Amino acid sequence: MAMAEALQTKGKIKEPKNLSPRIRWLRDYYFRGAQRAWNNEFTAWSTGTPWDAQFDEMTFYIVPETYAFLQTFRSSMQQAARTVRLHPDFWTWSLPERKAWFTKEVMVNYVPREILPGDLIAGGRFNVQTSMCWTKKEAKERDRLIYGKKGARASMKWFHDHGYGNSGATSGHLIPWYERVLKIGFKGIFEDLSRRYEQLSGKEKKGGKGCQLRAMMIAATMPRDLAEKYALLCEDLAAPENDQERKAELVRMAENLKKVPWEPAHTFWEAVQALWITHMLVMSDENYPGPGVSFGRIDQYLLPYWERSISQGMDREFGKEILKCFWIHANTVYDAMIRIGNMGITSGYGQLITLSGMGKGGRDMTNDLTYAMLEVIDELSPILEPKPNVRLHKASPEELLDKVVDMISTSQGSPFLLNFDERSMAGMMVEARKAGVEHLINQDNVHDYAPVGCLENTMVGNDRSGTVDNNLNLLKSVELALNDGRDFFDFVDPITGKKEKVKQAGPRTGSVQSLRTWDDFWNAYVEQTRYTIKRCVDLYEKSESIRARFCPTPYVSCLVKGCAEKGLDITQGGAELNFTTIEAVTFATTVDSLLAVKHLVYETKQCTLEELVNALKANWQGYEKLQASATYRAPKYGRDDDGADAMAQAVMDLWCEETWKHRTASTGRRFRPGMLSWNYWVGDGFILPASPDGRPKGRFLSNAICPVSGTDINGPTANMNSVGKALGGKASDGPGDWGGYYNRLPNGASHTISINPSLLKDPEHREKFKAFLKGSIEQGGTSLQINMIDADMLRDAQLRPEEYQSLLVRITGYNAYFTSIGHELQNEVIARISHESF
Amino acid sequence: MPDEQSLPEKRGLILRIQRMSTEDGPGIRSTVFFKGCSLRCVWCHNPESISARPEVHWVGSRCIGCMSCIEACPAGALKGTGSGIVIDRKACTGCLRCSEACPSTAMEVYGRHISAGDLVDEVLKDRVYFEKSGGGVTLSGGEPTQQADFAGEVLKSLKAQGIHTALDTCGQCPWDRLEKLLGHTDLLLYDLKLMDEELHREYTGLCVSQILRNLVRVREFREKTGAPAQIWIRTPIIPFHTDNAENIRAIGTYIRDTLDGMVARWELCAFNNLCAHKYDGLGIDWTCRGYGLVRAGDLERLGHTAAEALSDPGVVHISGATRDSEEES
Repeated sequence: MAMAEALQTKGKIKEPKNLSPRIRWLRDYYFRGAQRAWNNEFTAWSTGTPWDAQFDEMTFYIVPETYAFLQTFRSSMQQAARTVRLHPDFWTWSLPERKAWFTKEVMVNYVPREILPGDLIAGGRFNVQTSMCWTKKEAKERDRLIYGKKGARASMKWFHDHGYGNSGATSGHLIPWYERVLKIGFKGIFEDLSRRYEQLSGKEKKGGKGCQLRAMMIAATMPRDLAEKYALLCEDLAAPENDQERKAELVRMAENLKKVPWEPAHTFWEAVQALWITHMLVMSDENYPGPGVSFGRIDQYLLPYWERSISQGMDREFGKEILKCFWIHANTVYDAMIRIGNMGITSGYGQLITLSGMGKGGRDMTNDLTYAMLEVIDELSPILEPKPNVRLHKASPEELLDKVVDMISTSQGSPFLLNFDERSMAGMMVEARKAGVEHLINQDNVHDYAPVGCLENTMVGNDRSGTVDNNLNLLKSVELALNDGRDFFDFVDPITGKKEKVKQAGPRTGSVQSLRTWDDFWNAYVEQTRYTIKRCVDLYEKSESIRARFCPTPYVSCLVKGCAEKGLDITQGGAELNFTTIEAVTFATTVDSLLAVKHLVYETKQCTLEELVNALKANWQGYEKLQASATYRAPKYGRDDDGADAMAQAVMDLWCEETWKHRTASTGRRFRPGMLSWNYWVGDGFILPASPDGRPKGRFLSNAICPVSGTDINGPTANMNSVGKALGGKASDGPGDWGGYYNRLPNGASHTISINPSLLKDPEHREKFKAFLKGSIEQGGTSLQINMIDADMLRDAQLRPEEYQSLLVRITGYNAYFTSIGHELQNEVIARISHESF
Repeated sequence: MPDEQSLPEKRGLILRIQRMSTEDGPGIRSTVFFKGCSLRCVWCHNPESISARPEVHWVGSRCIGCMSCIEACPAGALKGTGSGIVIDRKACTGCLRCSEACPSTAMEVYGRHISAGDLVDEVLKDRVYFEKSGGGVTLSGGEPTQQADFAGEVLKSLKAQGIHTALDTCGQCPWDRLEKLLGHTDLLLYDLKLMDEELHREYTGLCVSQILRNLVRVREFREKTGAPAQIWIRTPIIPFHTDNAENIRAIGTYIRDTLDGMVARWELCAFNNLCAHKYDGLGIDWTCRGYGLVRAGDLERLGHTAAEALSDPGVVHISGATRDSEEES
């Protein structure tokens, strides 16, 4: 009888399970946070010059929460910095060589080393703020370019203050060529660099290329020397160890560390150890704890080592034990500023691992290691890092889908992101075509793509695509189009109170009186979009060109194909695939605003454009009927309404085509489009004025490619279909961009949906949910994140019903829009959902 | 509104289309709720589906208090009060001008006319999800047999497109209406609420005899034609009305004796009172308003009773919100 299952309640608070005493201790210790005796807090290191600096503010230009503290960070790091004894020739070397030597010196000879009890992986403290190694002249020039009146900081501030968004040359956010380290070791990398260096002419050796290759050779020996030190530490710990089992582990660890990552790895333990040291030093080299430094297809490139060790007798559970130690290490990124919080990072640093996915010829690549890693996540959860992204496609096996659904149903939210291969690969093929890099991305290798950070698709090991570097509010163009290229209001600095008069910032595209038809208005929007994109490109150039001159990362450059070949640092455009990404923010708010202008002004003629602008300037005060009409009567994106979704496609086509037109002048990186709104859609809602879709100033903007919160009243399938259409939909017949799919956004599009827990309540419903995922692979976007509706969300809906119009409460045989039922019953629903009694 | 006669295809009156419905048959479905019902069950969860005419109701959470509706009403049927807009149902002529005038859709209309072609186009948007899940389209209500010609056209057209169809009916209709639909129905969801003649009349407005007669004819139709391929029986478990063992045993016995081997599933759906606001909006006093949820233990016991009455106990499914027996409320 099926009822026993139907009656079972589920979805209790997720707890870790199946942990050995070793892992339980390490996990518990980690979660003691600031109370730990050991941690991985930043340590700062200086050349000892008075002009020295450690903190690179440009890498935080995309984090508006930090703007007020940029100077403080710089000074406090410098103040806390310990001086490193420099090599006597230090100041005679080029900047990349100084940087490579300094970082190596700090990591190998200064930063303390410890092994936590029971840990199977070495490599503890890596969060450092190392000297920029500038000469006085370099420091002065760099500071002028940053702090000058038209410098990078002031320009960035202006852009953000005026609601355009943010932009900055940002660290991390790439997938290094880790597989190569496992295969040939840093020794192989070093030999390759030496060979290339020897082939240079005498003149070249003295020039930039020679300096860069020498710097990279220094950097390539850093992991060797550090691993050696850790090997000695393991031996020191092994000698007095009484527990024979632990003693053997420490001896084995010492052996591993004497070998890798300098030599190629052979066993699984060696491979994971090599991977960890290699990875953590990327974060040290960039002075950047974690964000977006991603692992790529870890269940593919670690598989040979896993299989070899299993065949040689490694217990599968011990293999998982090694992985669990690796997992704990990855979480220590958060220690960087453990005493003051996490600098606005709300969703995890995103050292992303990619699991499963398609291989050559559409073959599925799921394997035993995929499942082992999913088990590790399941058993350790809740835990944030490394953040998993499971790649699904039409041929994903039932067993994998079952595991995915099972894990979603036993967690509060999804314990991973999902990427959809077909749609994602279509976007990568567009990138190949647009940028003329078909020799690097094509039918034969596009399946090797992997997401960075969350869901930002790139190729692996040869690609830096600046996946989060530019975040542009498309909605700014609507404001400018409504006001002939000018802001609605003077800018008043919230801290100083200083007022800046409205200027003619954008092109003059016509007064409200002159925009007589919808086409007139649309053309104005087009012009303003061109302008805002160009403005973003120009802003990016400032930080990008400064980074290229003053902030080399020679170690990272060793791990990215193209840098050695070109003799160029990755910060100078060394990578084979060299892009930077504009992430469009406020997409749905913009689409809905344009739909509302068309509906209110040009179709139903409920108001003139002038009246609409007056209403927006008044933040809808005194225009409540018009606002209600805009909110409830105008068409919206996200309802699977072909008319409204056509507007979404028009907006998408426009900004994407404009984006592809640009390149960075200093480094030759092509701009490409994506949609990831991080948390900007919340904060910038307080900067941008009221919008024609009915939104007042201060209400959240739309998130990434998601419909405006609450407007997707036709449910998840309609929402999914709209997202798929906005990306280009599918070819009615023909190949599309890949396998019949179109996709305008190579970088991918963040898509979050909320699911009612009742959808996962029993096996029958879990099958339905699985089918929904399969449908989403066909119909939806590049990725999906699933949130579970919970009591907190319902309480929020009580406070702000207008943002939850689409929130459906499902009870057997009956569905209700939560906001339309009375308060008393709402409370009852909240009580029920809290008790999981649905 | 154009004259019905002049239209090239049939138009129906529906309440709404519920996409990604997971409770009205197998897989992911789009459920089309028809407006107009032949019964008057006191516990009805969809009171807005009873009347066969469009009806206005007021959605307080959307109302901005602009009073446009009151100005627009030619019959003076609307009044602004401290607790919102009150509709004088006797005075209301159903002209819907208030709804047209309302900028925020707070004067919402229950019911919209749609052509069979447009309805089919709309539900086909989820075709991929139907295919992946073994789902399809369910016609529910209200009572689809009340608009049998329209429903028949929809079902026929869906079948022609290869879509799995389900018909959710209370069974209270002339046989020829049901007969028209069965041939295009893959799954019949058929309600059996109460077996006692008197109680059925008291709580639903009509006696159960036609419903049972139609069910016998469904059996005969199926034996002859093979359609509908599957039959599910649904019984709402309503406190004080249907939730006694005697009633469940009687339904179970009926299923065993009359429909043996034909019923793939018998669902006992527990009552909940979350539709109270709909009664408020329609200005109807609801007798079941104060009823609590069914106790989990009671529901389980009824499940056992149901299972005992059948020759194949595996077909019994229970669903719906319950409260733990130790909870007081």
